[in-house]
Amino acid sequence: MNVLSRIAAGGRACLRAWRRIPRAGRVCFVIAFVNVAIWSVVIPPFQVPDEISHFAYAQYVAETGSPPPQSGGLQYSQQEYAALLGLEWGAVIGNPNARGVITVPQDQALRALLRENPNPLGAGGTTVATNQPPLYYALEAIPYWLSPSNDILTRLAFMRLFSALMAAGTVLAVFLFLRELMPGTPWTWTAGALMVAFQPMFDFIGASVQGDNLLYLASALTFFVLARAWRRGLTVGRGAAIGGALALGMLAKLTFLALMPGAGLALLALAWRARGPGWQLSLRMLATSIGVAVAPVALYVLLNVTVWGRGSPLAGGLASVTSAVGPISTGGVSWHATLDYAWELFFPRLPFMNHVYFPGESPLWTLWLNGSIGHFGILDYTFPAWVYNDFRDLVYALAALSVIGVIRLRHAIRPLLGLFAGYTVMAGGLLAVIGYLSAQAALGGSYPFPQARYLFPLLALYALAIVLATRALPRRWAPVLGGLLVVLAMAHNLFAETLTISRYYG
Amino acid sequence: MARVRIAIGLAVLATAIGFLVDMSGSAPRGAGDDSVSRPVFANTVPGGGVLCQGSMVLPGDAASINILIGTYGHRMPRIAVQFKNLHGRTVATGALPAGVTVDPLGNRIALGYPHGPSVAGTLCLHVGGTHQIAFGGEPFPTTISAVRVNGQLQAGKVSVIYTRPGRESWWQLLGALDQRFGLGKSTIFGNWTLPVVALVALALWFAALRFLVRELT
Repeated sequence: MNVLSRIAAGGRACLRAWRRIPRAGRVCFVIAFVNVAIWSVVIPPFQVPDEISHFAYAQYVAETGSPPPQSGGLQYSQQEYAALLGLEWGAVIGNPNARGVITVPQDQALRALLRENPNPLGAGGTTVATNQPPLYYALEAIPYWLSPSNDILTRLAFMRLFSALMAAGTVLAVFLFLRELMPGTPWTWTAGALMVAFQPMFDFIGASVQGDNLLYLASALTFFVLARAWRRGLTVGRGAAIGGALALGMLAKLTFLALMPGAGLALLALAWRARGPGWQLSLRMLATSIGVAVAPVALYVLLNVTVWGRGSPLAGGLASVTSAVGPISTGGVSWHATLDYAWELFFPRLPFMNHVYFPGESPLWTLWLNGSIGHFGILDYTFPAWVYNDFRDLVYALAALSVIGVIRLRHAIRPLLGLFAGYTVMAGGLLAVIGYLSAQAALGGSYPFPQARYLFPLLALYALAIVLATRALPRRWAPVLGGLLVVLAMAHNLFAETLTISRYYG
Repeated sequence: MARVRIAIGLAVLATAIGFLVDMSGSAPRGAGDDSVSRPVFANTVPGGGVLCQGSMVLPGDAASINILIGTYGHRMPRIAVQFKNLHGRTVATGALPAGVTVDPLGNRIALGYPHGPSVAGTLCLHVGGTHQIAFGGEPFPTTISAVRVNGQLQAGKVSVIYTRPGRESWWQLLGALDQRFGLGKSTIFGNWTLPVVALVALALWFAALRFLVRELT
């Protein structure tokens, strides 16, 4: 009874917290959830990058209560292998003519395979996901067990819905982030949040079982809690919130470590601003934040080397901070070459750089921008080329407007410069890690696999840039541009869905 | 603000027109495939020979097949297509006449249509003439290729793409999409899923637009 009453009290507290969120934020959350839930039904099972590995990790956690040992054994359960075979997964990826299961005999063959191979317990063999922390997968174990059926595809559908909740949480965090930075213009909170809610690549990943979803949520929350503490002042509670967001991120995916230097810098600046007459309170707030961030991570490290026996404190995860990058050869790649590669991966080559790694069009467009507009499936279907060209023109215009917006709002931005310095280091840290690992993979003879989704931990900044672009216009016209951009995002999302339907069912 | 309403209204109208134009475009539509790509010429058949490929599914709405044919510079021979069900009964036939030009994107061979519902079975390609020809596909080993040429196992598998009759808009394809959408997923989904998803998406658009207009004005 005591436990039940505590659960009820917890539920009531959650409800109160939910009600404290502005109504518009709650509506953005619901809109994002419904939109991503639609995506989760539209995308056939396992047709999202690495979903097979993330599902396998979650299934192993759900079945055994511990993360995979990363043994040399089979990567997936017998049940998952059967599903992949029956879905003709290997034949569909990369083959735009192949549809997968679209006839009744194929469906019957799939069901027969699943009936003959019911074992959901795999060996926990190494995949691109197994060296990541287990928090996302432990959370996904909840819908796995709540699923009304043991059927792997039903479980996958429920787990995808849970991911959709995380995506909706990310949108809500972006809303709250904008609310802190633009307190005088409430419509910008909604416009920015809806731009993220209808970003089709974000929705595509959000609709799948993918550890990135918790990473995006934790990143957006980090941007939000830092902004909140900056505007309202650091307190012990806000310090704990920052620590909580950082812990969530570090236990979600190790990519989050790339954001830590910037977040740490912002935290130090917050403590400096809160120092007052004595340092004691300020240090206490800082210590609270660090303690809340570090304690769960320390427990994870301890469990890795003791109970779970996963080899090393971070289970070998530091070697692949961005997922899907192949084994890395650390020898033979000079720092000079690495720096050039990492720079050219994001920015135009500078005249003094000796290496020309991307002789054609810059990856800024071909990889990052086009990938954000839409490289769907296992990167095997896209929009027609004119869509990317037209979007590029729009990006030029929006970038110019954003600069004008910054100039117009310079007086409001000036007090936030310290915060933005932290955000800049966070973004730079992420680019540096992606660039470093891509360089090591590409120049070390492995297979580089950078994808636009690796930048999605910065979705809050994307929303901010859009909002700043709208603020470049006079007061009466800014909401018009905001509305037009949101409708454009909705249209983009709609046509991405119809593109997906034509790819797999047409 | 009226200007916000007008701008959003015009943007929604433009989207709706784009959507209607996209949905109304007519083109040949796929009926399925054998999940084999065609990076190489994977199988060869001597003139007068027959290639039979098992583990196939003939979709009920397939009115033709597309296969990539290599003739080594010779004139295209007649190629007859025969699809047999698991009991060995012929359920669909078709033929490519001799002398047709080789199409680098694959030649289309019409099947007798309609031929009944989707069925599992074996596809046989009867090659006329005297010269060897090759079919585009993938180099599978004999253990899983399920291909026999003149009764002998052969490595490789032929890529087969099925197409529906005539040209159709997406509106005309909705019935087929509806059925396909419920397959290869959790058993909780079915023929009801696509209509419900479409309705929910429509409701989401209305709700999001209404909310947006209210917030911006």
